[in-house]
Amino acid sequence: MAAAATCGTGAGSTASMASEASKSNVTSFQRRGPRASGTDSGGTRLVSIAGTRPSVRNGQLLVSTGLPALDQLLGGGLAVGTVLLIEEDKYNIYSPLLFKYFLAEGIISGHTLLIASAKEDPADILQELPAPLLDDNCKKELDKDVYNHKTPESNVKMKIAWRYQLSPKMEQIGPVSPSRFGHYYDASKRIPQELIEASKWHGFFLPEKISSPLKVEPCSLTHGYLKLLQFIQNIIYEEGFDGSNPQKKQKNILRIGIQNLGSPLWGDDVCCTETCDNSHSLTKFLYLLRGLLRTSLSACIITMPTHLIQNKAIIARVTNLSDTVVGLESFIGSERETNPLYKDYHGLIHIRQIPRLNNLICDESDVKDLAFKLKRKLFTIERLHLPPDLSDTVSRSSKQDLAESAKRLGPGCGMMAGGKKHLDF
Amino acid sequence: MVKGIMNAPPLSPGGGGQWALTPSGGARGETGHKSEMLDSLLGLGGLMLLRDSVEWEGRSLLKALIKKCALSGGQVHILGCEVSEEEFREGFDSDINNRLVYRDFFRDPLNWSKTGEALPGGPLGALTAMCKRTDPGPVTIAVDSLSWLLLHLPCTTLCQTLHALSRQDSCPGDSFPVGQVRVLGLLHEELHSPGPVGALSSLAQTEVTLGGTMGQASAHILCRRPRQRPTHQTQWFCILPDFSLDLQEGPPVESQAHPDPHTPPVDPMTHLTFNLHLSKKEREARDNLTLPFQFSSEKQQALLRPGLGQATSHIFYEPDAYDDLDQEDPDDDLDI
Repeated sequence: MAAAATCGTGAGSTASMASEASKSNVTSFQRRGPRASGTDSGGTRLVSIAGTRPSVRNGQLLVSTGLPALDQLLGGGLAVGTVLLIEEDKYNIYSPLLFKYFLAEGIISGHTLLIASAKEDPADILQELPAPLLDDNCKKELDKDVYNHKTPESNVKMKIAWRYQLSPKMEQIGPVSPSRFGHYYDASKRIPQELIEASKWHGFFLPEKISSPLKVEPCSLTHGYLKLLQFIQNIIYEEGFDGSNPQKKQKNILRIGIQNLGSPLWGDDVCCTETCDNSHSLTKFLYLLRGLLRTSLSACIITMPTHLIQNKAIIARVTNLSDTVVGLESFIGSERETNPLYKDYHGLIHIRQIPRLNNLICDESDVKDLAFKLKRKLFTIERLHLPPDLSDTVSRSSKQDLAESAKRLGPGCGMMAGGKKHLDF
Repeated sequence: MVKGIMNAPPLSPGGGGQWALTPSGGARGETGHKSEMLDSLLGLGGLMLLRDSVEWEGRSLLKALIKKCALSGGQVHILGCEVSEEEFREGFDSDINNRLVYRDFFRDPLNWSKTGEALPGGPLGALTAMCKRTDPGPVTIAVDSLSWLLLHLPCTTLCQTLHALSRQDSCPGDSFPVGQVRVLGLLHEELHSPGPVGALSSLAQTEVTLGGTMGQASAHILCRRPRQRPTHQTQWFCILPDFSLDLQEGPPVESQAHPDPHTPPVDPMTHLTFNLHLSKKEREARDNLTLPFQFSSEKQQALLRPGLGQATSHIFYEPDAYDDLDQEDPDDDLDI
């Protein structure tokens, strides 16, 4: 009975709807309004800032690191409000490249940059950024004038079904547009000057900011770090990245790049001695920086010469205080340069830590042995394929190499792989 | 930006990476070599670190480099902290001595005698004063020893001052090319822990580590050009009394793998209970044996030609596990 009643009411409601529909002479199925542009998934409530996208896993807002391969390894990109720490390679050749890719991505996406360095002038760093890589056919498109109608040459390239030939052409999103996430860069070319001039950036060059070395009391920040923190805080506050300036219509991301943090040029002697006076200066700086970043729309990349840090406990603390840690190990000067296993690559890349942001588990990929190669134009990260361990055919020397490379495998491989001697069973 | 490995000087073959100078023969080659090592060392500019030890001292190489810089023009400033001025100037002839600007911090480092000629601020003050120079032209600053400075100054201050010195050439508005300021620093590696040495070597554009074997000195040179791969090379040399450099070939490389001729190799097959040797006939028989799975022409013929007892082809069927071969015919119980 009750069911019949509901059916009746249901029928009544559909009848009323049908009558309404018949009144307006259209179907009762209405299409939803078009989604806001710039968001691929997730709700329309997310802030759509150029160059960002929400993570498919937890909805966190991500920015690209400039290297799509690295983005993929980090789970889609770098989360806004976090720190990416790059442990420099021994001769500091490849880590500045990652630094520059991050900044170049910021320029292309229209983000504001903040570059801090004690070694090079930020203006010089900006001049050396890599140029974005254009696809060949898109380059031709950008060179030619825009045609509104279909030209006959399109018939040569692609046979389109007759029905669709007359449909209006889809608008071409250029490869260098800020709405695309993750661009490719040409490491052999410099970024065009007009892109630099169109971008907004702030520079912090330590020798200019500090006139004379001051005496600092222990357990506090080194003078250089203090100045840098104040500078970052001022920029975040003045430009409204932390929401303190509600008149700002268009939200933007601040990309902070700090080069060679912890080196003696910053006034920090963590690289010089094992027990230094200001041993907590670096860790305190990272802690305060992370606090600043979490309350603002910014992302930070830091390169640190961890191979110079004498006290290994500090490296562990620094890793804990950063969110994402990527280590670079180049083969130059080591015996691996001549090792046939590594002849195609220039170094190994270790993803040491990935943050757990609003999550219980982090997005660690199961690929532990990754190697990078700097070709003339591109920086590629590939999976290192170790040769199969056939105990009958493999000779003794390469077995030793396998043991060495097996040491590089992650902790998931068990402790047997950590020894020097290759165990035979 | 990786521009490729720096090409080795064209006189000797090189593949990049490590190589020892091979003799190219001829006196022309020798004189060509002489200037090249110093040229390549001094051409880079920036900070050059000379790492020496007790066995292989570096002051003579430092003096050879100073002599080369003084002869090629440009000013040479010397910060002498470890040895006295007379001892340092010994061996240089007078026109070189006149070009050297020597600041002595050996006799009175803390300025206790309060004479007017001492510079304020000690050696650090002298270095920072050199940062603010305004006269153009190449300048070489030789620090007699960075070890002395490291023991008296904090490492970070020294690093920052050296960096400011080598940055002098990239000031905006000046047209100085890179390489106008050279800082030659002598560092005694054994006095320091790896921390300060690592910090200084990360700042240096060129690093020369002195070593050697059996009376022959060698220099291991590491050049770090900005944004290029670093290049290593090892060079054997000897410094003449007038502080010019004489390049040499390495010591004769003795083969280290001499087999020990005292004990003759033992033949392990002498005391066996079975015979491992083959006689000639046995060897021939072994060679003539055809292995069962070897495809020879006889086998091919045997397969192609059907055998005597086989008129038709045979099908050899082995039932699978899934094959249901029921011996009973299900149609048996039908009464047809």
